[in-house]
This record gives sequence, C-alpha cells and structure tokens, in this order.
Amino acid sequence: MHETELHDLSDDADYAASQLQGSVSMERSDSVKTTSSAEPEGAELVYLKDNVTIHPSQFASERISGRLKLIKQGLSLLLTWIPYKGHNTNARLSEKDRNLYTIKGISFSDVRSIRRHTPTLGWQYIIVVMSSGLAYPPLYFYSGGVKEFLATIKQHIFIVRSADDANVFLVNDFENPLQRTLSSLELPRAVVANGLSASTSVSASHPAEKQPIDDGSVSGDIASLSLYNGRPRPKVHDPARDLSIQVLEKFSLVTRFARETTSQLLRESLNNGYGANERRDNSLHHQDYSCKPSPDPEKAPEEVPVVPDPLEFDKLSLVWGKPRQSPLGSEEWATFLDSEGRVIDSKALKKRIFYGGVEHRLRREVWAFLLGYHAFDSTCAEREYRRSMKKLEYETIKHQWQSISAEQAKRFTKFRERKGLIDKDVVRTDRSLSFYEGDDNPNVNLLRDILLTYSFYNFDLGYCQGMSDLLSPILYVTEDESESFWCFVAVMERLGPNFNRDQNGMHSQLFALCKLVELLDRPLHNYFKQNDCLNYFFCFRWVLIQFKREFEYEKVMRLWEVFWTHHLSEHLHLYVCVAILKRYRNKIMGEQMDFDTLLKFINELSGYIDLDAILRDAEALCICAGENGAACIPPGTPPSLPVETSLLFPQQDDVL
Amino acid sequence: MSYAYLFKYIIIGDTGVGKSCLLLQFTDKRFQPVHDLTIGVEFGARMITIDNKPIKLQIWDTAGQESFRSITRSYYRGAAGALLVYDITRRETFNHLASWLEDARQHANANMTIMLIGNKCDLAHRRAVSTEEGEQFAKEHGLIFMEASAKTAQNVEEAFIKTAATIYKKIQDGVFDVSNESYGIKVGYGGIPGPSGGRDGGASQSGGCCS
Repeated sequence: MHETELHDLSDDADYAASQLQGSVSMERSDSVKTTSSAEPEGAELVYLKDNVTIHPSQFASERISGRLKLIKQGLSLLLTWIPYKGHNTNARLSEKDRNLYTIKGISFSDVRSIRRHTPTLGWQYIIVVMSSGLAYPPLYFYSGGVKEFLATIKQHIFIVRSADDANVFLVNDFENPLQRTLSSLELPRAVVANGLSASTSVSASHPAEKQPIDDGSVSGDIASLSLYNGRPRPKVHDPARDLSIQVLEKFSLVTRFARETTSQLLRESLNNGYGANERRDNSLHHQDYSCKPSPDPEKAPEEVPVVPDPLEFDKLSLVWGKPRQSPLGSEEWATFLDSEGRVIDSKALKKRIFYGGVEHRLRREVWAFLLGYHAFDSTCAEREYRRSMKKLEYETIKHQWQSISAEQAKRFTKFRERKGLIDKDVVRTDRSLSFYEGDDNPNVNLLRDILLTYSFYNFDLGYCQGMSDLLSPILYVTEDESESFWCFVAVMERLGPNFNRDQNGMHSQLFALCKLVELLDRPLHNYFKQNDCLNYFFCFRWVLIQFKREFEYEKVMRLWEVFWTHHLSEHLHLYVCVAILKRYRNKIMGEQMDFDTLLKFINELSGYIDLDAILRDAEALCICAGENGAACIPPGTPPSLPVETSLLFPQQDDVL
Repeated sequence: MSYAYLFKYIIIGDTGVGKSCLLLQFTDKRFQPVHDLTIGVEFGARMITIDNKPIKLQIWDTAGQESFRSITRSYYRGAAGALLVYDITRRETFNHLASWLEDARQHANANMTIMLIGNKCDLAHRRAVSTEEGEQFAKEHGLIFMEASAKTAQNVEEAFIKTAATIYKKIQDGVFDVSNESYGIKVGYGGIPGPSGGRDGGASQSGGCCS
C-alpha cells in the first residue's frame, strides 16, 4: 500500500541516519561526556545509566536493555532511552520491535509524573506518565540508580512528591496551584521543549554493538537519501506491538487528556512559531498530508496561535497497533477454516482483517461472515443450503412489489413515491464506475430492485437517500442479487437508524462524537463550542454513509471491512472522525474557521484523506480513550444493534 | 482573484428537480445527466460582474430529501440569496414549494432574496405546471421568478445573476449592514464600493449571453 510505504519512509530515514551514525562513530572519540558532538547543539548530558531494561513480555528472553539519559538543552530537560543493538541473543525480537520501544527524547514539559517502584525483591523500576495520559513501559534499572535519577531531575526541573503516593513524583501538576505558578515562571522551558521535540528524535534502528546512537536530528537530506538507497526492509509482523499496547494500557495511570485551562492559555501564548503543525510537518509519518486542499485563495487567512493538542500524534504513534498489513489472501484465508469450512477462530480472523482488510476476490466470501449473513461456525454445506433458502425468501418479498399492477399502483401513492425516489437515485449512484455505467446497465436495475425489495422488507423505514451508497459496494462485491440484499439487510440492522425520519440515529452518533472530541481534544471541543459548531453537522456525510464519499471506491471497501470486524470498538467510525479532525485541528483553529468555512473545508477533504494513517490514529485514539471513550457512546448508538426494536419508528415517506 | 462582495447562495427544493445540474451549468457551463446524488451539501463558486464590480457567488447545493431537512436548515444561516427550484414536469415538486418557503422564512434572514426557478423547461411536452402558476406563486410570495433549463442552459445564467443584481441593489439601497456577515454578504478585498450613481444596479454578465 502506498501509505504503508510512506509510513516506512520514516523507518528508512532512521535507518539511513543510523547507518550514517555507524560510519561516523568510528571517528568519534568514545568520551560520552563530550556532549557537543553527540548531543544536539547546546545540549548537555546530565545523567547516563546503562543496563536500563524494558520487559515487553514475561519472557526473560524478550527483554530489551539500553541506555537511559537525561539531556539538558537550554532550559529544558529531555529523557532518552536507546536500546543496544544485538545485546539480547534471542531471535524473537527484531530490530523493529526494539525500535518500537525506543524513547526518542521526551521533554519533561510534557511529562506529568514519574512513578518509582522499589520492590524488596527484584529490580527497581520507573514509569513515566505523559500529560496526555500515556504511560511508557516500566524501565527497570538493572544496575540500580533510580534515586540518583530522580535527584538529577530535581536539580534541573521542579518536581514534587505526590501527597497521595510517596512514590509518585509530579512533574507538571497543574492542579497544584504552587506548581502552576512556578510553571508560569518557567516559560522559556516550554518553548524550548516544544521547539525541540522534532529535531531531537533520536534514531536507534541499527546502532553499533553496545554503542547507542545518541544524536539524531534526522535531517531532510538524510531522509531523501534513504529514498535513493532504496534499501527494502522486510515488513515483519510484530507480536510485541500488541504487548506494548497492553503494557501501555496497564500502566496508563492517568487518562486526563485535557489540561487545566490555565496551562492551555499559558501554552497558547507561547506557541507562536512552535505549533504542533511544525512538529508534525517534520514527522515523515505525515508527509502524505502535504497535498491537502489549498485554502480558499481570497480568504487570506490570518493564522492565529492555537491551543496545542493534548494528545499529539507523535505520542499517538506510541500506541499505534500493528502496522497496516497487506490484505488477507486466499492461502491465509484457508488457514482460518477447518476441513468443513468453519471459521475456527473468528476473533483472530476479525483481528487479522482489522489490520489489513481482505483481498478483493475474497470479499464476497468474507463479507458474508463479517456482516453476519453467515455464521462463522457454519460449514460450507450449511451455507450453501442457507443461500438457497434465503434466495427463495428474497424472491418472495420481491414478488410482493412486482405483483403490483399499474392499476393498483394508481391507488398506492406510497409505493409510487417510493419507487419514484429509488428510480431517481439509482441512476445517480456510482455511475462513473464501470460496474454501474452506461444506459440500461443491469446492475443499476439490480440496485433498484434490491432497494425496492428492502423497502417492503422494512416497510416502516422504507427508502432514504444514502441507502444506495451503502448498497452499491455490496452489490459490486457479491455480484448476486439475493446475497446483496441480505448483506444489505445486515448492514441496515445496524445503520438503519441513520435514516430514521427524525434522524435520531444520526443525532446520537454526532452527540457521541462531540463527547469523544471533548475527551480526546478538549481545546478543539472548546473551539467548536465557541464557534457554535457543536452540532457536528459538518461530519454528517461521514457518519451517514460511513465515509463512502470521502475515499475512492477500493478504500471505502477496505474501511468498511475494518469497521465490520468490530475489533476494539463497534464505533471505530467515530474515532476515525476524531482522528481526521485532529489531523486538521491546527488548521481549523488557526484559520479561525466558522461553521460555514468548516463545513466547506471538511467537504473538500474528500479524496485527500490517507486511509491507513487515519486508521492507525483512530486505533490509537480508541485505545487511549479506553473505557472513558466507550462511556461517551450511549448503548444502542448505531452501528450497535438497537437496544430495543422500538427505536425504529414507523415513519412517513420522504417524498419532498 | 479579488472581489468587491461575496454572496452566499443556497439552492433548495425537492430531490431530483435539478439543483445540482443548475449549479454545474452555472459554474462549469455544462450539463451532466449522470452525477451522484447530493448527500448533505455540495459547494460551487463563480465570479460575476455587476455594475462593473466583481462579485463572488458561493453556492450551497443542498440535498432535497425530506429526511435531511433538519440538516439543510442549518445551511440557511447567513445566506444572501436562495434559489428555490421545482420541476415543471412534476406537479408535487411545485406543491411542496410552500413548505420550502416556510423553512427559508424561518431559518434565513428576512432580507434573503429568493428566486423561484421552474426547471426543466426544455421538457415542455411533459409540462405539469404552467408558467402562469409559477408566476402567480412568485407574485403571491414576493419572489423573483424564472423558468430555466439546466440542460439547455436557458435562463441559468440569468437566474443566478438577476438574484445577485437584486442583492446588489439592496446593498446600494442600504437594506443591509454589509459589515454584518449574517446577511450572507462579505465585503471583499477588491475595495468597498461606495453608493454608486447607478441606481438600477445594472447587471452585466461576465459570461456569454444566453437566450
């Protein structure tokens, strides 16, 4: 996938940088204390500890040792932890796995607290918790030195011991009035820290044996160099990634994403020229966003400083799950089935599809499972039988409207109106696709027949615009009338409330979205509130037809199959909304978009959204939000199954 | 490109009356019978010239189905002009005009200029609403009226420009406080034109002339 390659560029950049580093390290003296060459300019190494180790799992063989450092740069203090290369002998962890845990220079201005653990047996360890609520995995001090570590920090920045827990040291506790005051006196620190975070990303893909790389600044030159090197790197499945999530989840002691207003205002005033935009632009992960729609030329927007994102993407990437994989193919699919065609482990299958989707030729078969048309534990024979029974059932319902004569139709206004609407809409659905193009296209007629049959199957709901958008890819995939119908029925089981006349399904989702943004990006929420945008109507099309109009056709199918796995959440689509909004938050707030401008901007994002990157962000957001996120979404919010059937109100036809 | 004013327009009316086609004909000068139905809203824009002033029209093309009315209502805010469209070959789309008008009166500012358009006038053989009926309705409700065809482009240019000329005249007459954007008018960087001598606000088309 294109995006995956883009994503991997950053790895290549790291790789190139580390290669460069490797060659330079021969000439460099090994005096670590001579920091001017090893650390970013003006940086001073104030603490160094070897044999600090991360335990990604309970297996001793998977432990990763490295070097922990505190680096003082100007008024800010940075922490890095770089794993050694080839130190552990096991083959289970790849370089990439180790790289995953690398701490590439976090600034203490972004740290909320440090928890110290001093068990009577075993190693001492610390856990660093970020202001965003993210926690790094425990760092075990195999050679001791936790006390010294904390003492060093204390020399350089203000930390206080928590009143609640003597082992917790608060770094940026904005609930503490004293500290708030002190923080406000340390303004330059925040500025420097913000400005640095991109340039201090320290690379450690391939450091020399026992020689961690400790300067970084992966420059653009090096990044582009790696392109020409064209060194392909094998994409590995990394089970450790899952473990990392568990670890992070487990130790996410604080899930308070929004800071006190005071600190927001404080940062706002400081953020000129150091906005998250710049930081993000430096990140190669996000290069693919350079082609966003150009701003309204005559608007000449005046960029205003925006409140920084409390949950930024450089942190989000820490909880990115597996990298997006290639789609599930036939051979792998076969391994999920037993000899009679049952899916052995549906959970594993869903997870696999969540991370990579399905090859197109397998979609017909797999979608039927994902949508619940076939049970995972059904055999091939059972499915064959079911298909034939369901076909008969479909024909019966279809016959109900087919048998309405022209005379009868004259006295059946509702039928005429419905048919008229559907007739008008199927010829306006994906006609640029070869599957539906041209006059008298039989597939367009199938769309009409299925929708009309559905309006008899669910007479109360009937037909509403948007349904044809949902049906179109299903028919395209199954190429079978009855099967499309039943798959569509399954989709509408969940999304039917989107089309209720009173729009209750839409409103409940937009409301949940509002709550999620409040949880995951309070400053953005406040901005929407101030600008009268809390109805989230600008996300209406996204939610109504599940991003059908926002991506090219193939990508829509990919996205939907990911949604349908319900892996992590039934409401991943809402996290996708949040992820997209967060990608553009600085632009939205910086240009002071009002409702109209925002609506237009969001509309024009269509075709410019990077699906894989957004899915990873959405996944990370979903994990970060955890139970708090789930609590934002009331039971029965589509696409959850309705809590009670009465949610589907009978409604009048939509003929206006 | 700079403009003296920016007018926000909204196109409303039943589904399938040709709202998107009218917009496309106006902005791109083409008729596209095959296009996706509108979900939510789509946007179009074009520069025109009125009284030698460059004016930008930003046009909101809305979804017509009843289910989406609550969403559509949120689009009225700050519209200077509305094109209320019906299909002369479908009586029911004419019958629903009153309900659209009610929405517009309720959710738009009182000075919004409304142009009533009887679309598809090229299909005279299937006409279900007479021109007189359209004229009558417009007169009763204080609307400007035109029959048009998005297919042949007949009166499309005129409809958009006449609406703009009416809005422009209202500005000249001091009906609007143009610094208040809730009227759907933004003063552009092209300079704020003072009250001009030309009281008629004579419209001159930027594009080619149509019949």
